[in-house]
Amino acid sequence: MPQFSRRKFLLSTGWVAGGVTALYALRNKAVAVAPTIIFPDAESGAAWIQIKANGTCHMFFPRVDMGQNANTGLAQIVAEELNVEVEDIDAARPSTSDVPPLAVTAGSMSLTAYSRPIAIAAATLRETMRERAASKLGLPLADILDDIGGFRAADEPRLSYAELVDNTSSMVEFDGNRPAPLLYTFDAQRDKRQVGRAVKPLGIRDLVTGAPVYTADIPVAGILYGRAIQPPVRNARIASLETGDVANVAGFIQLVREDEFVGVVCKTPGAVDAAMTQIKVTWDLQQPIAQEEIDRLVDVDAAMAKGDLEHILQDEAHRKDIDWDIDLRFDVQVQSHAAQEPRAAIARFDQSSRLEIWTGTQDPFGMKRFAAMDTGLSEDAVVVYPQRLGGGFGGREHYEVERDAVRLARAVKQPVKVQWTRKDEFTASRSRPASAHRLRIAVDEVGNLSDWWYGYISGHVVFARERLPGWLLPVARLADDMGVVKGAISPYGAPHQRVEYNDVDLPIDLGVWRSLNGAPAIFAIESAMDELAVRQGIDAVDFKIAQMHSAHPRLQNCLERVRALSALKALPEGAGYGRGFASGIYDGRCYVAISADVYVDAQAKQIKILHMCCAQDVGMAVNPGQLRAQVESNLVWSIGMALLERFEVADNAIRSSNFDNYKIPRMDDMPSLDIEIIDQPTMPPTGAGEVALVAGPAAIANAIRRASGFRALRLPISFADITANSAE
Amino acid sequence: MKLKVNGVEREVEADWRDESLLTVLREHLDLPGTRFSCGIGQCGTCVVHINGAPISSCLVPIKDVAGKDILTIEGLVAQDGSLHPLQQAWIDESVPQCGYCQSGQIMQALALLKENTNPNDADIDNAMKGNLCRCGTYDRIRKSIKRAAIVMGQVR
Repeated sequence: MPQFSRRKFLLSTGWVAGGVTALYALRNKAVAVAPTIIFPDAESGAAWIQIKANGTCHMFFPRVDMGQNANTGLAQIVAEELNVEVEDIDAARPSTSDVPPLAVTAGSMSLTAYSRPIAIAAATLRETMRERAASKLGLPLADILDDIGGFRAADEPRLSYAELVDNTSSMVEFDGNRPAPLLYTFDAQRDKRQVGRAVKPLGIRDLVTGAPVYTADIPVAGILYGRAIQPPVRNARIASLETGDVANVAGFIQLVREDEFVGVVCKTPGAVDAAMTQIKVTWDLQQPIAQEEIDRLVDVDAAMAKGDLEHILQDEAHRKDIDWDIDLRFDVQVQSHAAQEPRAAIARFDQSSRLEIWTGTQDPFGMKRFAAMDTGLSEDAVVVYPQRLGGGFGGREHYEVERDAVRLARAVKQPVKVQWTRKDEFTASRSRPASAHRLRIAVDEVGNLSDWWYGYISGHVVFARERLPGWLLPVARLADDMGVVKGAISPYGAPHQRVEYNDVDLPIDLGVWRSLNGAPAIFAIESAMDELAVRQGIDAVDFKIAQMHSAHPRLQNCLERVRALSALKALPEGAGYGRGFASGIYDGRCYVAISADVYVDAQAKQIKILHMCCAQDVGMAVNPGQLRAQVESNLVWSIGMALLERFEVADNAIRSSNFDNYKIPRMDDMPSLDIEIIDQPTMPPTGAGEVALVAGPAAIANAIRRASGFRALRLPISFADITANSAE
Repeated sequence: MKLKVNGVEREVEADWRDESLLTVLREHLDLPGTRFSCGIGQCGTCVVHINGAPISSCLVPIKDVAGKDILTIEGLVAQDGSLHPLQQAWIDESVPQCGYCQSGQIMQALALLKENTNPNDADIDNAMKGNLCRCGTYDRIRKSIKRAAIVMGQVR
């Protein structure tokens, strides 16, 4: 595929209608996430910043909004560089026709990957404007000083950006070889005005007034309503299809079947509900859908007994046959995204077969390509209008509800809206895989780690079945699955160490879920280390810090900070109370430590989280308010993962179907929180969207150990697990 | 068939009379601020007030609310565009992440503050535990309710 010509593209879209535009391309490899692997030639990610002819600053948001509010942070960087207020930036979410391809929004990468390119673009734009000001005033560049929304010079009137642009279009382009101008965002000496401020999410008023911001809110004339049957697993085949009396349902319009795709279109959503009750499908499965089957497939002990696992991540002077001080297996169950918004899409074909799709997706450009492949249209004939997501968490990367809407709209030749039911969400959301982790640890005569042997099996994540084309899967799986390896390398050092894993197909569909394998692996590692400290009768925080051997000062600092933070609130005295700690590194760049105070209430037969503290090193804190919000979210998810969320399969079906049988945290599960955002103004932002979740579940499990003596080996933990253990 | 929504009388056309209140609000009456999430009254996302009481609108057949007063999130903004103290508190505390559940949260909180002008944590737990927020904004919701309670107390 030829290089996308940005200049030509901009002229063709009318984007450069006067003013000065800055753009900066970011290569695909910087954001290596599954859906874009299929199209490795895609030029992805770009920052678009423009001073318009009236002097206002306009930017296209390069990321989709799903609650992380990363675009607000990126707008702050633009505002810092251009000396304007972030609230004055005219920001817009681009359609796939407005900009060259942007990468999927995933991996907590927004600030890490985009902050510098965006700062360079904005700063270069600023310096271009300064050159114009110098030329206009006939003064040397050095005499042109920054001012709000423009420049000033001694004894001269202030020059606003509006006075420096006109209706002729011009562009500042970057090739990465030019030396970057001074970046105010990363200038430690600068007294910053926009970066580092707890700016409220841009557009927050819309979110509290019920303005139409999600896909299903978008009004489209002549809309019909549709829904497709979601199979229990995507490699299932229809064994039998009965359509009952569907044709006589009031408001029924059409039944659509293409191979394994079965859907209906009706005049109203209620008619769709009624029509779907008439349709009965039985499925041919390639594997039984049963918990026993999942347990068998991730049985790490059976696999390790046979010899080496398939992927070896670390292997240094490994010793197999020694006396282990810790030899524990940890099991983590399947979990669902359960985003608040059931995903929705609207598809419309116009007279000339141009296809428009409105959807809340993490990967708008992926949707465009997949829709083109699915319909046989050229990519130029497809436009995707990305909408705000009512939660993403890794579950919105695929062409699915979009496919439902596109196929149904094509069949009835009218626009169709599809919104999945809650049951569809649980069935087809590509859940976080189950995994099993065997930790063997030995210490030497003075109590330092001597041997570390960590073997685990997880369902596939990035290379899950149906996430990549069938021909590509076997090749891809020779490499490490970047989702499955997250969190596997511990921050602790031992002279003898080995880390190995298998990734396997499970009988349900799998995919990316917040933190990927980070939370499961670090739950196992941090539980094992905590148990080792308990058995040695030593302080777990001191022990962990010592065993990092000064290799991770930022993580060590997080642990020290969270210990100090937790000490501000005394743990109640008496039986059943416990405080636990855990820490972790997400993706080699994000550092977090958490404490949890729990009460194991023998009378009420429940585990109650009383208080949680978190210290997170975020690098440069672009927006402390939003970083704190992401930490809060991860702490709540930690409670769900540790105690509540139980995904159930049985009888060849997924049994979890709604919030009555899949519990997620509620208001009365909330502990008090104390959060410290550790700002490192001279370091790049690390991202925060899925970081604290890696340490939260272990902190809770470690607190339960101290409160009750019970070492949790399986998540989620129920009160019955504790009593079963003490009865033994 | 008629109902009164946010103080305005609205007609429900024949094709929509077998639908839920939620569907009619969203798809027929152009009020999409109330949102669908679970469909079985387990999450509180679609809460509206019917004759002053908070109810999950996904469970209510439109036929059952003929002639009744419905209040939705869109009805909290004053004619001059000024926000209800709860909405302002939600902004002041920067509550929303994805934002999808927040219409229902605010409507449920409004019902709480009508009954209890100075709720404590246990009151808030009890009133709000039926409203799920997958992003986990509960701590900020709690603070916002307390903040709004103070403002509304001063207004009274």
